[in-house]
Amino acid sequence: MSILAIDTATQVSSVAVAKEGRLLSELTMQGKLTHSETLLPHIESVLKMAATAKEDLEGIAISIGPGSFTGLRIGLAAAKAMSYALNIPLVGVSTLKALAYQLPVPGVRLVCLLDAQKGNAYVESYRWENDELKTVEAVKVAKISDIIADCGALGEQVILLGDAVQKKIAGKLELPENVCVAMPHLVMPRAACVAMLGQAELKAGHVDNVMDLEPVYIRRSEAEVLWEKRHPEEAQATKPTEEM
Amino acid sequence: MEKKNEELLTLAIESSCDETSAAVLRGGREILANIISTQIPIHQKFGGVVPEIASRKHIVNIMPVIDECLREAKVELKDIDQVAVTYGPGLVGALLVGVSAAKSLAFSLGKPLIGVNHLEGHIFANFLAAPDLEPPFMALVVSGGHTALVDVQGYNRFRMMGQTRDDAAGEAFDKIARVMGLPYPGGPRIDALAKEGDPMAIDFPQALTEKGNYEFSFSGLKSAVLNYINSEKMKGHELNKADIAASFQRSVIEVLVGKAFQAVKEAGRDTLVLAGGVAANSGLEARLREEAEKRGVRFLYPSKILCTDNAAMIGCRGYYQALAGGYSDLYLNAVPGLSLTDK
Repeated sequence: MSILAIDTATQVSSVAVAKEGRLLSELTMQGKLTHSETLLPHIESVLKMAATAKEDLEGIAISIGPGSFTGLRIGLAAAKAMSYALNIPLVGVSTLKALAYQLPVPGVRLVCLLDAQKGNAYVESYRWENDELKTVEAVKVAKISDIIADCGALGEQVILLGDAVQKKIAGKLELPENVCVAMPHLVMPRAACVAMLGQAELKAGHVDNVMDLEPVYIRRSEAEVLWEKRHPEEAQATKPTEEM
Repeated sequence: MEKKNEELLTLAIESSCDETSAAVLRGGREILANIISTQIPIHQKFGGVVPEIASRKHIVNIMPVIDECLREAKVELKDIDQVAVTYGPGLVGALLVGVSAAKSLAFSLGKPLIGVNHLEGHIFANFLAAPDLEPPFMALVVSGGHTALVDVQGYNRFRMMGQTRDDAAGEAFDKIARVMGLPYPGGPRIDALAKEGDPMAIDFPQALTEKGNYEFSFSGLKSAVLNYINSEKMKGHELNKADIAASFQRSVIEVLVGKAFQAVKEAGRDTLVLAGGVAANSGLEARLREEAEKRGVRFLYPSKILCTDNAAMIGCRGYYQALAGGYSDLYLNAVPGLSLTDK
């Protein structure tokens, strides 16, 4: 199965082509151009490098969030349109899980943090058990300082990954003894991981609906949150469930 | 075998503000389908378009709208010859959804991509509305964010006569509607209210009315109306909203009408077209029609559906742009502040 994977959840633009569990090509960069400008040219490049015609693709895996709202939408809009035009299945892969997938280290807790603005991060914790990546603590939004303090209180080795590490933690914050950051080349998302996880999902028959797939935002828009504060009664009547 | 131009199928996508739209055109002027999914009810409670919410709706709506459009047009995606998309002006997050989807479709199909200026699209809506319309003509563009007079000399040759220095007419409409407590979108409410009021009741200012000046300014008028409303409230007077709406609207309309016909005369044109969202304003349309009749100028404006943000007008503009080689590459980006310029 040939699969194209896309990750535009952070300032990293990453696309990859994989076939039968083998990474054929990957282009990962943090540059000055926006995802909007580079994504399609990069997809064209990785297909060429992998000597794979777009018509030979059998699936698309998209890093579905959480992350930058706009970045996620750029990736997802491209992935949906391509899935529709080539008539191939599309599957969303958790951006946080794909991050943890970079470090196949058993016996430690992998804490993945994606920037959620204003000193906050989307955070989810994982552990490898019997060659499988298990979620230890489900995704939530928390203050980065609180996340680190909580990690320090754990009686085990913790490795931090994600764009919040690159932006806000590595070399900037003092870390407890049992906590360290992943090496710089492993700290940011990569489409290769999205490809491997996505391929497994597709093989297991998990396909997302190209018509209504949405990014995993975790957070609602600020306008909605503000409106609810000002209209508490009406908000109670139509309480959405996505807020954490 | 190469298709003839009039047989070309253009798929067009528009997502610049609060409508997600897709259209298929055969040739430059035949609309096979024009699907518009509006978000107005969603933004109403916030009193205006919330950019993040608009973007979230676009990413959900984009594929169903494209799919419905192709089904209604009875066209298969593989038969599409080119993909046109609005790349500005508009809300950046909203534009990016359409741009990204359009680029991906063009790439996947191996077909050319055409990035279209939304404001040029509004002007070209007139070609869809009037099959016999050909350049040259004068275009008055009045939308939420823009007010401009454009001398359309050819399908790909525009001369800017002038545009707004500050607020667009549509912005002034929305702001004043909000202050008067009218629900969003305010333009149509003011238009309706104005019909019940006396347009001569209050003397609001008209800016830059000297001859030969085709620039617009509505910020002074906006302030004058807001000041008037505040001072009436301070005096404890009950607001005569209908009179305010009618008097404000008269000021806007007289400036637009005056400059439009001056421009028609200076450029020696025999046709004036109205373009943009505010073209749906019945007061403006009536005054332009009246003045056009008096002067023997042909006056055209698109149907209501072609005045709103829609992909058919983007497809029409894209078609004529492509005839002159105006294609885009896969690096096309959204340009939220894109303006109308000489071409």
